[in-house]
Amino acid sequence: MNIHLLAIILSSLMFLLVVDLVRRHKLTFKYALAWLLVSASGVFFAVFHKFLFKMAGFLGFELPSNFIFFTLFCIFVFLSLVMTVFLCQQNNRNDTMAQKIALLEFEIKQLKRKSSN
Amino acid sequence: MNLTSSKILIIVPAFNESGNIGRTITDIRKQNLPVDILVIDDGSVDTTAQEATSTGVKVVSLPFNLGIGAAVQTGFQYALQYGYGIAVQMDGDGQHDASFLVKLLTPILEDRADIVVGSRFIEDSAGFKSSFSRRLGINFFVRLINAFTGLNITDPTSGFRAHNQKVIAAFAQNYPQDFPEPEAIVVARRLGVRVSETAVLMRKREGGQSSIRQLKGLYYMVKVTFAICLHMIRSPESR
Repeated sequence: MNIHLLAIILSSLMFLLVVDLVRRHKLTFKYALAWLLVSASGVFFAVFHKFLFKMAGFLGFELPSNFIFFTLFCIFVFLSLVMTVFLCQQNNRNDTMAQKIALLEFEIKQLKRKSSN
Repeated sequence: MNLTSSKILIIVPAFNESGNIGRTITDIRKQNLPVDILVIDDGSVDTTAQEATSTGVKVVSLPFNLGIGAAVQTGFQYALQYGYGIAVQMDGDGQHDASFLVKLLTPILEDRADIVVGSRFIEDSAGFKSSFSRRLGINFFVRLINAFTGLNITDPTSGFRAHNQKVIAAFAQNYPQDFPEPEAIVVARRLGVRVSETAVLMRKREGGQSSIRQLKGLYYMVKVTFAICLHMIRSPESR
């Protein structure tokens, strides 16, 4: 199979998958935007691969494939950092909620005891 | 302020301390002080909560194990909500001797400090001082924290401490979660709080498992050092 065609098919599938995930509310806007941009640029570069070659040359990469790997690497490092921030935020919120629940549960027990007396 | 006029809360964080928690509470009650006792059951899987409840003290049970930092912070949140003027943190494992409570509270009652840490190392005494390797580690943190804060702390890992209202309000909102004892001193200092120490004796743990002993010593030191350094670049106010 032609590598060019394969790239177009795979990147389009990726883009459609993201769109479908957004449609089914599996991805919220905040995170969907980043993935939509990444997958849309994937389709763009798969279709207009000459542009990709030109850009690789312009930036001084010997091979366009090196440029692709480098770009993907940067994107994933960034995305994983964003995900870690998100994870820490969720963790903090989870702890705060657990503390609030424990204090509320204590208050409910106290109130129940008072009303039964 | 004096002992009878101020509202004092003793926060006892406990994780799987059945057998010890009852003794700790009895030990505090023996002192005949006008204090309320609050046990924070940090998601224990044994009978810690039941044992504490049966003694008649207040028990707040966290839905799952959050760690000592979040457990103590829950105590501060309670203290803030119910208007306590002083909150003392005291471990539920029987290591801390309640007869030193008055000594710990005095500097706060006399408004000489905002946080008072009970230290094992101020005076040469017969009390339990921890193993040699742990003392080496503690010594390292002493130097590190004192270099960062300009304080003269001798026992930064001690979890036997008293806090006034100003600190209760600050720690209820933001309290270190990873290695709370040494980190809290750095956070407190960054908030401009007066930290002082008073000599106490500690007992060897009566049961249960120390959360630190389980960790590999050196790795623990590297992590705490890193955590302390992070606090130096972090805003002390928000979580």
